[in-house]
Amino acid sequence: MAVLEEPIKEVLDIKNYIDGEWVESAGEVKDVVNPATGKVIGKVPISTKDEIDATVAAAKEAFPDWRRTPPLARARCLFRLKELMEENFEELSRVQTMEHGKTIDESRGETRRGIEMVEVATGIPSLMMGYNLEDIVTGIDEYLIRQPLGVFGIIGPFNFPFMVPLWFAPFAVATGNCIVVKPSSEDPISQVKIAELTEEAGIPPGVWNVVHGGRTVVSGMLNHPDIEGICFVGSTPVGRDVIYKGCGDTGKRVIVMCGAKNFALVMPDADLNRAIAACMTSFYGNTGQRCLANANLIVVGEGLSKEEHDAFYDKVVDAFVTAASRIRMGYGLDDTVHMGPLRDAGKKEKVLRYIEKGIEEGARLRLDGRKVELVGDLPDTCFVGPTVFEDVTLDMAIAREEIFGPVANMMKASSLDEAIEMIHRIPFGNAASIFTASGKWAREFQYRVECGNIGINIGIAAPMAFFPFSGMKDSFFGTLHGQGQEAIRFFTESKVVIQRWF
Amino acid sequence: MENLNVTASAIISFTEKLEDSSSAFYEELAGRWVERKETFLAYAKESKKNKTQVVRTYQETITDALEACFSFEGLDLRDYEVETALAKDASYAEALGVAIELEERACAFYLDVAERSESLLATIPRAFKRVAKKRGKRKVELQSLCDKAAAGS
Repeated sequence: MAVLEEPIKEVLDIKNYIDGEWVESAGEVKDVVNPATGKVIGKVPISTKDEIDATVAAAKEAFPDWRRTPPLARARCLFRLKELMEENFEELSRVQTMEHGKTIDESRGETRRGIEMVEVATGIPSLMMGYNLEDIVTGIDEYLIRQPLGVFGIIGPFNFPFMVPLWFAPFAVATGNCIVVKPSSEDPISQVKIAELTEEAGIPPGVWNVVHGGRTVVSGMLNHPDIEGICFVGSTPVGRDVIYKGCGDTGKRVIVMCGAKNFALVMPDADLNRAIAACMTSFYGNTGQRCLANANLIVVGEGLSKEEHDAFYDKVVDAFVTAASRIRMGYGLDDTVHMGPLRDAGKKEKVLRYIEKGIEEGARLRLDGRKVELVGDLPDTCFVGPTVFEDVTLDMAIAREEIFGPVANMMKASSLDEAIEMIHRIPFGNAASIFTASGKWAREFQYRVECGNIGINIGIAAPMAFFPFSGMKDSFFGTLHGQGQEAIRFFTESKVVIQRWF
Repeated sequence: MENLNVTASAIISFTEKLEDSSSAFYEELAGRWVERKETFLAYAKESKKNKTQVVRTYQETITDALEACFSFEGLDLRDYEVETALAKDASYAEALGVAIELEERACAFYLDVAERSESLLATIPRAFKRVAKKRGKRKVELQSLCDKAAAGS
């Protein structure tokens, strides 16, 4: 066992970052616990309404100067932030593992994805350009300019504590807006580290703020008249409230990214070795706590007889179970480990309840994650092992509802049509993957499937920073998505000027 | 059965250890056999560069690697370990013998990990192959030094 050095040595006293100052909150304090070791690594405040109001006021005050700062100068701040993130790459990654539980490979991947957002946003002088046309009528020209709006709120989830707020923050700031980030109170330290780096990068006070807390802070943001828009990533029920109750009432712009129940199809012509390897990271990466994780695997018998389909199904399921049973669990800072714990004991309880439910509903438990074997001497408080259910049907709760844990459901469909129909029978539409060697099947799949992110021989269809992170149905509420050009449009107002000179 | 499904992080940790120990080993050789000081110091410097290049490649591609189901199957890292601590009274020929073994194992390690990452992401096998080539070249040079030493004695 080779455990990497922990960057957090003492319990951190976490503060809010408001107007360029580290401010102690008057609110209650909650423990931040390393889910692998059970040790408290920080104390996070649950900030008050007054504190969120003061933060928004500071951001609003900083806005006029920041929007007048030339895009190139704003980009330079982000270049410096990117460089600082590179310099602190390892520390940022290890902090994520300590506060979330994911493996160090996964954390480093998350760090890289976060940096890529900053990297892309540095292109703001080009990205933010409008367009023009001379002589729309003789002697009259028309052009479009993009202007920032003011203050935006970013509400982060627990599953990617470093990366997800960065789907929005660099684009908001690059376009000349000011932001208030509310990280998950379960794992808030990564956003504290980022705020420290923004300070060092020379981003002016009030432009990038971090306020910790829970419902009070969230509702304070949703209801605040000086917040122009909200970016939220979390569960579907809360997401509905954010868009329809909170932002609907106050008329804010919104990007609301929610839950998922993603399918992977394995076609008879798939490269099985690669498909199974991809499925391991897709179903069990981040311990299944990922909105792009696949949860239902459909073995498709297109063109096969019933006997052939049954044999193919057995082959896929056996290979899946064999690979899943080889996953080593433990502390993510031990780099021999393939999968870490769930974020907390409550999440483990939820996953265990679903496993019980699956058994009650008649699914066959092929691999039981309730029995965990850990690398190292660790409490099993938050650990659930890779779990595989067979003979799962769509009427079962385990097939329809988001479990957000390492549970894989094996299903069957006799044709591609039937498999696509199965995908459409659940309310979510975040992602779907197909494993096949057939361009025809792949095209049919991408054309018809009502999901925002499609993987063709890819298990985790995660869009890069220069593409929008899409989503449909109950997985996304709003119009424009985070990342890339859509984020630029979200964070700016289009103003059209028509001019004539006498 | 032993689980030989090695994480990318473990491969990188091993690479760092391998290049750090190689660098220290050649610095020691440079101190002991001053007539070959430049060669050995060049190797030590090159090992530091190798480490930087591999770690950088890993950090820049780990997300894509994970998402493209990247893993190193069937490797036992113990197969590539070499004891580089030299006895106080080790002869030049003995030291070259250890160096040749070190280069052989290092070259095999880099080629094996390159092979296992071949089908997925170009940058990763490319980085490993580049280092394998350098370590292979060193082995040839060391063998030549060894032959010269044997001819001279």
